Amino acid sequence: MRAEEVLAALRGKLGERLRNPEVRAETVGYRRLRERECLWAEIGREDLLEAVRTLKELAPLHISIISGADVGDRIELIYHLGVGYGTETGEVMVNLRLTVPKDDPVVPSLCDILPGAQTTEREKIEFLGVEFEGIPDTRKLFLPDDLPVHPWRKDEPELAGYVRRTVAWEEKGDEGKGEA
Amino acid sequence: MREKVKPEEMAEANERAPACSTCFEVPIGPIHPALKEGIRFTFWIEGERIRKVDIRPGFMHRGIEFMGTKRNLIQVLYLAERICGICSISHPLAIVQAVEQAAGIEVPPRAQYIRVIIGELERIHSHLLWAGVAAHELGFDTLLHYVWKVREPVLDLLEDLTGNRINYAIPIYGGVRRDVPPEKYPVLKNALRYYRSLVDDFVNFFLRDPSIEARTRGVGVLTREEADSLCAVGPTARASGLRKDVRQDWPYFAYPDLGVRAITPEDMGLEVQGDVYDRIVVRLLEVVQSIEIIERCLEEMPDGEIIAFPKVAALLAHLKKAEGEGIGRHEAPRGEVIHYIRLQADEEAPVVWKVKAPTYSNLMPWYPMFRDQEIADIPIVAASIDPCICCMERVQIVRGGREETLWKEQLLELSWAKTRRIVRGLGPSHVTRRASRGGADERR
Repeated sequence: MRAEEVLAALRGKLGERLRNPEVRAETVGYRRLRERECLWAEIGREDLLEAVRTLKELAPLHISIISGADVGDRIELIYHLGVGYGTETGEVMVNLRLTVPKDDPVVPSLCDILPGAQTTEREKIEFLGVEFEGIPDTRKLFLPDDLPVHPWRKDEPELAGYVRRTVAWEEKGDEGKGEA
Repeated sequence: MREKVKPEEMAEANERAPACSTCFEVPIGPIHPALKEGIRFTFWIEGERIRKVDIRPGFMHRGIEFMGTKRNLIQVLYLAERICGICSISHPLAIVQAVEQAAGIEVPPRAQYIRVIIGELERIHSHLLWAGVAAHELGFDTLLHYVWKVREPVLDLLEDLTGNRINYAIPIYGGVRRDVPPEKYPVLKNALRYYRSLVDDFVNFFLRDPSIEARTRGVGVLTREEADSLCAVGPTARASGLRKDVRQDWPYFAYPDLGVRAITPEDMGLEVQGDVYDRIVVRLLEVVQSIEIIERCLEEMPDGEIIAFPKVAALLAHLKKAEGEGIGRHEAPRGEVIHYIRLQADEEAPVVWKVKAPTYSNLMPWYPMFRDQEIADIPIVAASIDPCICCMERVQIVRGGREETLWKEQLLELSWAKTRRIVRGLGPSHVTRRASRGGADERR
């Protein structure tokens, strides 16, 4: 699979809604040179399912991870997808970037198309407070069930206080544990 | 001081009703300090069979990504090394790629070969470690001690090359911190010869042993379709017949020169079944593959520089000016590791740092693997993806209102007893699939 083919397929489905597509190619190797490619693009959340479905039809699809960040009044998610594994230098890393407003952080879930996305989506729920529409399981994955904050949000008013309380609790040693 | 569990969350937990009216619930775990993901399994058991499983990691979450965004990039490198204790070089190898991509750092070729050598040596020791653990889970402790004995030379070799058995601190942005000088080649070649001479033994002990075959054939099956849709990685995916290997699909370092191919059981002339046996096959073949890769590196490795920024201060200054984002992927012994990093000029710490370890991807594939398996097979199925097995600290059985606690030893005893039954009931000459599929029903 080449990045140009992936780009053409995505353009065919999304047209202008695929914003700022950029193919970043690198030459790797010393004796046998190989071209390794990444595709970076921005999309809207309403186009996410269609984009991923297109990729799935195109070639074997693997979701590596969804990375996320708090960028002011919006939350940014980047879907890192491997398209076309199975042959030498056959995989293109497709990185789809989308942002959602903090007061409405809802994104459609990929679980219907790619059930393997559930782990990383559940992680984004607890760390960034993103909601995924249609995800079968929304329970906490890595954080304690009673953790009231989303640690990767930079504006969480409770986060600083929570860290202080936890540290104070740990410093108390065995005495403090009774109260917890 | 901490908030109590909220009512809606309690309701959610209660919704996890038993999968059937005659099921009872068996929680296993949590805990374990060695892996990022300490894990609790909750099984719903009907008779001897697992009908449903729920997996809850997170007991050892350390917030490493959060910590990373508060430190400078050199500190983050060594922090990344401490994400995993067993495959400690996998995360540094991934993060150096991400940062080199983000900051536009060129790496000397010799350094890329040295990274491959250390990475492959680690694969050998990690797969041997796993083979020992698997033998232990099945009740062959002699084999465990044998495998771990022969694992020692590769750790000694790593110590000789890097100064440490674990946490080698070898990769740095723009190269490696220590050369593999030509006078070390004979030591390396000796060790590789030693491991090559052991391969036949391993095939005999693991793949031709009728009781191991009886305990692992048809157990913990992950079909090709499931492995694909659940995004399994590493030997777990390859044992299900997917030719998925970052070294092949998206090559890095010196791997394009070496032409690595993903290994599946077909390479040994076997039909892919996607069970625990196939996972043993793939890991054994990968040890052989790693030996070959290192031998080729020693032949083809060019001379020259090993580091782009010999002075750490110059490196830090360069990184502080850098702006951009990058992804780094590495095929760790257990599967794909990926790091995403975003740098901002005048910021010493990364603005965003996301890490994914292989077990994270292999979490979902566990669900189909456990379906309809026996309790005695829990240890080997759980171990088969090569997570940290020590999360099997204890088992709490809730039956009616009565609670009893099974410790790890008792769970292992169940597994060992099953092996003994198989060994007694079936002579070495006539192994059948019946043993792994119907052993328990027979007993009833």
